[in-house]
Amino acid sequence: MSEHEPLLDPIDPQRRKVMGAIVGVINLGLIGAIVGPVVGFAASPMKSKMKETWVELMDEHLIAPGEIKEVNFSMRVVDGYHEVERKYTVFLCRTEEGVLCLDPACTHLGCRVEYQSDRRRFICPCHGGVFDEEGRVKSGPPPKPMDRHPVKIEGGKIWISREV
Amino acid sequence: MSKRPTYEPHESPSLTPEVRVDLPREASEQERLHLDRPAFRDWLELRVGWYGFVRKNLDEPMPPGVGWWQTLGNLLLTLLMFQFVTGIALAMFYSASPETAHASVKHITFNVTLGSFVRGLHVWGSTLIVVVMVMHTLRVFFWGSYKKPRELTWVVGVLIFQVILGFSFTGYLLPWDQKAYWATVVGTRIAATVPFVGDSLLLLVRGGPEVGALTLTRFYAAHVMLLPAALMGLVAIHLYLVRRHHIAGPVLPQRGRPVPFYPNQLFKDAVVLLVGVGMLIYMAIGFPPALEGIADPTGTDFSPRPEWYFLGLYELLKIMPAGYEMLATVVIPGLISIGMLFLPWLDRSDSRHPARRQWIITSGMAVILLIGLMTLKGILETPPPHEVPGEKEEVVAAK
Ligand code: HEM
Ligand code: FES
Repeated sequence: MSEHEPLLDPIDPQRRKVMGAIVGVINLGLIGAIVGPVVGFAASPMKSKMKETWVELMDEHLIAPGEIKEVNFSMRVVDGYHEVERKYTVFLCRTEEGVLCLDPACTHLGCRVEYQSDRRRFICPCHGGVFDEEGRVKSGPPPKPMDRHPVKIEGGKIWISREV
Repeated sequence: MSKRPTYEPHESPSLTPEVRVDLPREASEQERLHLDRPAFRDWLELRVGWYGFVRKNLDEPMPPGVGWWQTLGNLLLTLLMFQFVTGIALAMFYSASPETAHASVKHITFNVTLGSFVRGLHVWGSTLIVVVMVMHTLRVFFWGSYKKPRELTWVVGVLIFQVILGFSFTGYLLPWDQKAYWATVVGTRIAATVPFVGDSLLLLVRGGPEVGALTLTRFYAAHVMLLPAALMGLVAIHLYLVRRHHIAGPVLPQRGRPVPFYPNQLFKDAVVLLVGVGMLIYMAIGFPPALEGIADPTGTDFSPRPEWYFLGLYELLKIMPAGYEMLATVVIPGLISIGMLFLPWLDRSDSRHPARRQWIITSGMAVILLIGLMTLKGILETPPPHEVPGEKEEVVAAK
């Protein structure tokens, strides 16, 4: 570093402190100006809300008492920057109380359960969750029964509401 | 060699004093650097310091006993280069939206020249990096090389470890096939098991309530921007610290003096690179990467499974009783991460010898055994992947 002039007059310590502090404050402001907007932007989905939408599934008489039916349907949903036709599945089952609509997502970590009619059970392929025909946990790690969607019957048609 | 004094080894045995007398006096390094018309290397040396840097690295002292186990870090660096380069190439053909992602990966795999190979390098490279990284970590652990003054080298290493796992998790979704989709549905739900903030965290990770277009762009941004930037910074710090403290010798100092990195250790490094990269290329050609059917939220003929090195966690989730899944998703992985991060301070013993730090070695082995057994169980119990039958023929025929 021989090319450098030796540092001249000893810098006033007070001056160093004050100016150093100002630089520090400016730097904090800069960090805030970078991080703030980006975090707000990237975290904005945390505010997203689902809204209930009713869809018509099928004729009521198509499902017999005690029967479990897997129904595929699609709904137009907003997926980020565009609206898409998204496919969903639910299980309908007619019990004494009426028609139940069970969501196929396992309440453990969300794998899709499968209905095995010979065992009359919903089986989750992931970590071995087992639910009975009304969605109650029979074994495995799921912490709560299968989610139910509200059902209404209007004009002989089964309607369910799903949050999208 | 006498014309290149900047490269001269410490004590060159071939230059006997008598020979030296006959040589003309050489310009000193300073003189040469400042000549009016310097040689190119001297010109560059003054401005960049390149040769000094290379020489310093080639002369890096290796304590006796350093050998094959110390080549893994360099293998990791090389594998990372492969990931970066193949990743850039893939990004030129990849398109991150639910409508196009699967088709673009299919195109890469079946139509683009060398597409399957480049994708294979990237896919197998990720697996190889995890394997080698675990080996590197284990060697540092058993050698006790994380001890003073190398604590922060270790801490940065643990952060690198997590970034690498982040790469796998985000990269796994990108092909938008069945296994990508379902592994991410389940994997992101793990966020929801965090107490209190779980639901918001799930929205943050997914970019919305369901795995969809915004999950894909989010994961893509992380995979190609955020994580690479973080990784480059961390690896730079890691290497700086490794050089600053030099490589630690064996746990019991061995007789002899340190030797320069070049040529002995560099040669070992090169051999290991040859084997490692050879293996990578062999895997990429011999076992081309698969692509399953496009993500289908309604499909049933599918049992989701994560990347193989997450199978341990997956198995742990299976054996957790209802209501305790948080243990497997947050508590146990969290404790292992914290334990790893703070290992240099948990281990109070002065000695690096394994026999002198029994409880650390014992608990380390227990954790390794647990992860190993769970992973093995996961591998044995997972059905083989089902591919789209006839996909390849169909696409090739359509060309
Ligand atoms: C892709 C990731 C990584 C790269 C590229 C990398 C690179 C390197 C290199 C080149 C060395 C010197 C040569 C050697 O010992 O092999 C080294 C040493 C070291 N690494 Fe890593 N490393 C990585 C991950 C890790 C991880 C995950 C840890 C620990 C959790 C770690 C901890 C250490 C420590 C403590 C040393 C010093 C060893 C000693 O002085 O004996 N590294 N690393
Ligand atoms: S997701 Fe169904 S048992 Fe884990």
